[in-house]
Order: sequence, then C-alpha cells, then structure tokens
Amino acid sequence: MARLIADKRTLRVELAGERIRAASGSMVAVEGDVEFKHSGMGGGGGMRAALKRAVAGESISLMDCAGSGRVYLAKDALDVMVVDLAGDTLTAESDHILAHTDGLRLDVMFSGLRGVTSGQGLATTTVSGHGQIALVSDGPVMALEVSPGSDLVVDPDAYVGSRGALQMSLVSGVSWKSVVGEGTGEPFSLRFIGHGLVLVQSAER
Amino acid sequence: MTMPATTWTAATLPVDDNVNPYVFSIALNSPWFMSKGAMLAYYGDVRFEAVTAYASMQAWVAARFSSPIYVQDWVIAEGHGRLLIGDRGYDLNSYDLDAGNLTIKAGNLLAFETGLELKQSIVPGFVTLLGTGRFIASSNGPVIFVEPPFRADPEALLGWADCPSPSVHHDAAWMAASIAGALQGAFGRASGEERQYDFTGQGTVLLQSSEIAREDPAVLRLVEAQTQLLTNSQAGSLGQRLIARAQQQ
Repeated sequence: MARLIADKRTLRVELAGERIRAASGSMVAVEGDVEFKHSGMGGGGGMRAALKRAVAGESISLMDCAGSGRVYLAKDALDVMVVDLAGDTLTAESDHILAHTDGLRLDVMFSGLRGVTSGQGLATTTVSGHGQIALVSDGPVMALEVSPGSDLVVDPDAYVGSRGALQMSLVSGVSWKSVVGEGTGEPFSLRFIGHGLVLVQSAER
Repeated sequence: MTMPATTWTAATLPVDDNVNPYVFSIALNSPWFMSKGAMLAYYGDVRFEAVTAYASMQAWVAARFSSPIYVQDWVIAEGHGRLLIGDRGYDLNSYDLDAGNLTIKAGNLLAFETGLELKQSIVPGFVTLLGTGRFIASSNGPVIFVEPPFRADPEALLGWADCPSPSVHHDAAWMAASIAGALQGAFGRASGEERQYDFTGQGTVLLQSSEIAREDPAVLRLVEAQTQLLTNSQAGSLGQRLIARAQQQ
C-alpha cells in the first residue's frame, strides 16, 4: 500500500509497485524506480468532471507517479498535512492538494459565486473514498468545529477545506466590501453553518 | 477520517492568547481596533465597521485614533465572539502596556484595545501607542529585545518603548564618499546598510530577525502630505526625478 508521510514542508511517498497522483511539478527528489507521467485531463472523475472543471475554472494539474521507491514532494515551502479518508468525503481547494493515493476519487462541486472574487475558481474539489490525501497550507492548519448555534466566518484566502454536513454562504454587502480587505482584497467572506470541521490556514495568501 | 490538525471550537479557542505562533485568538467583548485584512476567521456575533463610519457615531474614536493617514487601513471590530487574526504567517505576539508608550512599525501592528491611543510617530512608517491596554503585533521571526545605546537597521527595527525617538546615523566611510560624490551630483548611493537608527537613553528596542518589509500604503500618503512643504518649482523637479526613477525600473 502506498503511504504518504508528512514531514513539515515535504511529503514523503513510499511506493511499492503502486500509483499515486501528485500536483504537477511538485517532485523534489526521487529514490528507486519511479515513473512520472502527466495524467491527461487530470484530477480524476472522468470526462464529466474534466468538463465541469473546465467550465468552473477549478484547475488542477496532476501527474501519475508509479513504481517502487521513495518520492519527495513539496510546493512553495508550504506546510504539508496528510488526511486519511475511510470512505468519507473531504472538500478542499484544488490549490491545496499536493498528492493523493490511487483509491480516492476527485470531483468538482460548484460552490456559488465565491470564485468570482477570490480567484480560486467557481468550484471546489471533493475527495472521497478510501486512502490518503496530502494538503499544503501556509502555516499550520487549524480545524475549526462548526455546530448548530456556533457558525463560523472565514476569510476566503485562509480557507483550505472542510468536511461534514456544512452549508457555505457568502457574507458580503457594502459595509463589508468597504471595510475589510485591502484595496484588491476580499469583499466577501464565507459563513459556514451546520455540522462539521473547517480547515483554516494561518495566513491569507 | 483522521485529521492531523488540532481541532478547536468556539469554547476551546484560547482567550486572548496564541493558538499557534502565527495565529492569535481574541475573546471579543469590547471593541478592538483592527488592521484590515488581519481577520482569518471568527465565531459569534462580530461586526466590522470602518473607523471613519464608526467615528461619526462614537465621539471617543476620534480621540483614540489620531492618525489620519492610517484611518483607511483600520476597522473597528465589535460584538461578542472569538476572533482569529493572522498576518502573512508571521509570528504574532501580544503586549500589555500599563500607562506606557511604545512605537511600532505601522505594518506590523495588527490590533489594539481601545484603552490605547494611536498616534503617528515622527519617524515615517511608525505609529505610537499610548495608555493602558493590549495590542498584537507581528514579526518576521522572533522578537529580539535590546537596550540602548544601540544602532538598528531600519528594516529590522520593529519598534521601541520608553526611550527617545532615534536619530539617523550614517556610516562615516559612506558619508565621506557621499560628500565627495555630492560634488558630482551622485548623492544617494545606497547599499541599504549605510543608514542606521541610533538609540540613546533608557528604554527597550524591539527587533525582528528579518528585513523583509511590507509595502505600507500610508507611507505614500505621508510623503505626499509632506510635499506641501515644497515650492512649485521644487515639486516639479521632484516629480521629474521620480519619473526618472520609475523609468529606470
């Protein structure tokens, strides 16, 4: 079984004849016999997802790494964390996906107008199945719990991903627009209600 | 699903303390002044109001925030909840002032309580906090405290407390070269290290361990305001020099 191991700002991948997918250009070192190949439409989910992705602008460029050995991956010296999925679903910004094991399915979920302003695309990526996914973040990630009566508002640039039964809406309005964010900054914020966890990084990019 | 990140709820987030070195959690009960864009996330009923809009409703704001060039970069957060703030992944620290004064680089000040009064420092790009209360500031790397007499690099200088404002020190060798150079009109050769801030007297100087500075929008407004000192012909020749500089880049 391929294993993803986070080591601060690098991800170590142990391969024994399996295949994983990693963000294109993220390989920094390799030991053993591993082949890299651009995975075409990328991102998984087949043709339908690829089409949705093209429409939504949620771009993700992945490569296949297959073989036996050890691969080191990193992206912009960002912190790396590995999430184990056991049949459940994680929502993540495609920018933050570094690598995932073969058993996971990536799909695109439309998330409203948010992308118009944050430049992060009109959609987010959902990851489901059994396996591991490595996410990158600027600084350590905090998992903030959302429950009924305890809503959470997040800066779109600090948002990494989420899990659980959450509804996301935009906090906007003239006052917000004129008040928060610098010049080109964020006129919108994200409000989460429901039950779940929201992953927030320590810096707004 | 196993999540390697620490899980927090509105109840378990620290009260006026760091969540990690880069994130600070404010337990909001009374208004705070906050730098725009510092907000990462919040729980509860929190409202953000422009300082200008708020000042028209609450007269005390104008007395506390006596720094017109920074007004548009700041908001007032009020309400009840937990507010998480961060700044480019820099280290965050909170400081308590007790009837004290502290001057800090404007771009590194993230939030302060309304018991403190903000004033513009004589040194461009710095602001002075006076009074009693807490503030939160960022630094690139840990903060280093030193006592005068001390000479600091302007970029690494984070602030100073209780001591007189610094004077500018120029390296003697550089001065000698520049005086000679000025005759040929080549004044202003800059390696970045020939100019230092000289601290004397009693107090504490705060340094950060890196020299990366953020573009501070207020510096432009500050310098622009000072050009009123110039006559029209002086302003014209300054303009020409600035255009030449912009074209060189």
